[in-house]
Amino acid sequence: MNTSSRILVLAGAVATSTFFAGCASEGVKNPSGVPVTEMKADEAGFVRGTGVESQDLVAVTDKMARSIIGIPEIARATATPRIVIEPVVNETRFPINKNIFLTRIRTQLNEKAAGRVRFLDRDMMKTLERERELKRTGQVTASADPHAVEFRGADYFLTGKLEGMTTKAAAGTSDYILYSFRLTDARTSEIVWESSAEIKKQGLEDAAYR
Amino acid sequence: MTTFHTLCRSIVPLMLGGVLLALAGCAVVPERPLVTYTGDPIVDGNAELNAALAKDRVLWQYRIAATAIRLGRFDESDRQLDSALPLIGGLLASSADAKKARSLFSSESTKTFIGEPYERVMAYYYRAVGYWRDGQPDNARACYRSGQLIDSDAEAAKFKSDYVLLDYLDGYATAKLGGDGSEAFGRAQKNFKRKLPPYDVQANVLVFAEYGRGPRKYAGGQYGEQLKFMTDDSPAHSAKLTVGERTVALPPYDDLHFQATTRGGRVMDHILGNKAVFKNTTQSVGDVALAGAAVAANNIRRVDGKTSDNAAAAALILGAIGIGSKVLSAATTPHADTRTWDNLPQRLSFAALRLSPGEHPATLEFFDKSGKRIERLTRQLTLSVRPEGDSVIFLSELKR
Repeated sequence: MNTSSRILVLAGAVATSTFFAGCASEGVKNPSGVPVTEMKADEAGFVRGTGVESQDLVAVTDKMARSIIGIPEIARATATPRIVIEPVVNETRFPINKNIFLTRIRTQLNEKAAGRVRFLDRDMMKTLERERELKRTGQVTASADPHAVEFRGADYFLTGKLEGMTTKAAAGTSDYILYSFRLTDARTSEIVWESSAEIKKQGLEDAAYR
Repeated sequence: MTTFHTLCRSIVPLMLGGVLLALAGCAVVPERPLVTYTGDPIVDGNAELNAALAKDRVLWQYRIAATAIRLGRFDESDRQLDSALPLIGGLLASSADAKKARSLFSSESTKTFIGEPYERVMAYYYRAVGYWRDGQPDNARACYRSGQLIDSDAEAAKFKSDYVLLDYLDGYATAKLGGDGSEAFGRAQKNFKRKLPPYDVQANVLVFAEYGRGPRKYAGGQYGEQLKFMTDDSPAHSAKLTVGERTVALPPYDDLHFQATTRGGRVMDHILGNKAVFKNTTQSVGDVALAGAAVAANNIRRVDGKTSDNAAAAALILGAIGIGSKVLSAATTPHADTRTWDNLPQRLSFAALRLSPGEHPATLEFFDKSGKRIERLTRQLTLSVRPEGDSVIFLSELKR
């Protein structure tokens, strides 16, 4: 009889714990929330994908900026070279903020090259032209002759391209991205510098999404 | 008899306690904040989004995006999709709610919603419209490529990556950027029975059109473990846009009902199928054990008038097994996730044309299967063409 009682108690316990397992956490995952975690831009977060992420951006642009500073056209230039940035072309399957790569390369170069290169702000051209016109018409004051052409021309164009290759199979998804950047001489069309970085990622999503 | 009563006294509170605990355990679903409706679909959609559980947020973002794009509020549409795409474009692995969705005792809808492949494809498709509009055809192309990749794991080879427009527009974006779009054009043509219009890279007006109401999900099978789709076939089978003397055909290049129903089985369908088998088996075991318990209970009092302790014990043990098994069966939830992006269209179309900058009055007409015009759907509109770059016109039969 004691054996029977033990079986009954066990059966009841199993049934009860089954209910707990099935229902107890319904809708209350992380009831207190998840505190904001500050991370470095070159750290991989817990939200991951196989596409372009901040740590890739930092790694790639750091490499490019270091490489550009070292080339003879910049390092040993007699006159400070002027560079215009052209938008990156995205040929991958990942929609990205295309400006962010060149913005970071520019800021890195401006920080580290200590004036050895200058960037021309072509995004500001319309505003600058309007300001010059105001000066020319005497509507605002000018500290120099507003009729002189002082907008500088580019010595080099800096641009880049992101190309990708994707494989998707039952075993998961794999993405390879080639980040290439180049500096082109505005006068001769020669590519005076080019560098690339490549990153490959792969993973398999939870079966609940397959 | 004493033993029998002792056992009864121990089992009844145990079972009652189990049931009460179960009910208590299930009653902790967080309260949903009250949503006050204003009549503005974007405001109301955002209110729903703010009130939604985290696992349902993407569903609301999808719905708001579709409504916004139809109302010409591209910024809102882009904002919602930019928030949703990193989740659906990433790889959801080691996710606690996905793990729970796979467990026997939670339904599939406990997982974070990202939608079935045709819904994810549409999120990319709509985002691409915004990128075209912003003068970023390369990012639009990235969206088409991601969309086609999502569709690449259909079970049957002929249904893999078979969206006509995704390949057609991939090639068109490439051609617009000065590249060779012929390969993508060839893939698109392979999936389309009629002849696709050749790329006109000089075209400055891109018309994205959609008509019909898209697929809806429902749960089939004995326990709702099978995910199924239904679509009320739209009377609109094709459309035509007339601008001045010019008439542009807007045929259905893609049909979302076709896309939703040609995917084949999911891995999750096997999991849900196993859950259903478990539910059925435990149900049957419960039935058999309870029937055995009843038979044993009938034999407790022997013909000589004495009580059989063995029969009493057998009745109770079988009863416990029967009830336990029934409890397990009841707790098993094989129900498929039927959360649906419910404001998707059925048919997708596209046309590119050349128009001078400025305002152009136009007429949009829809036609039924036999080619007869559906008068009630005819609409007069004005196309605004930018002086520079591509102008994107989005036309939908659906209002929201």
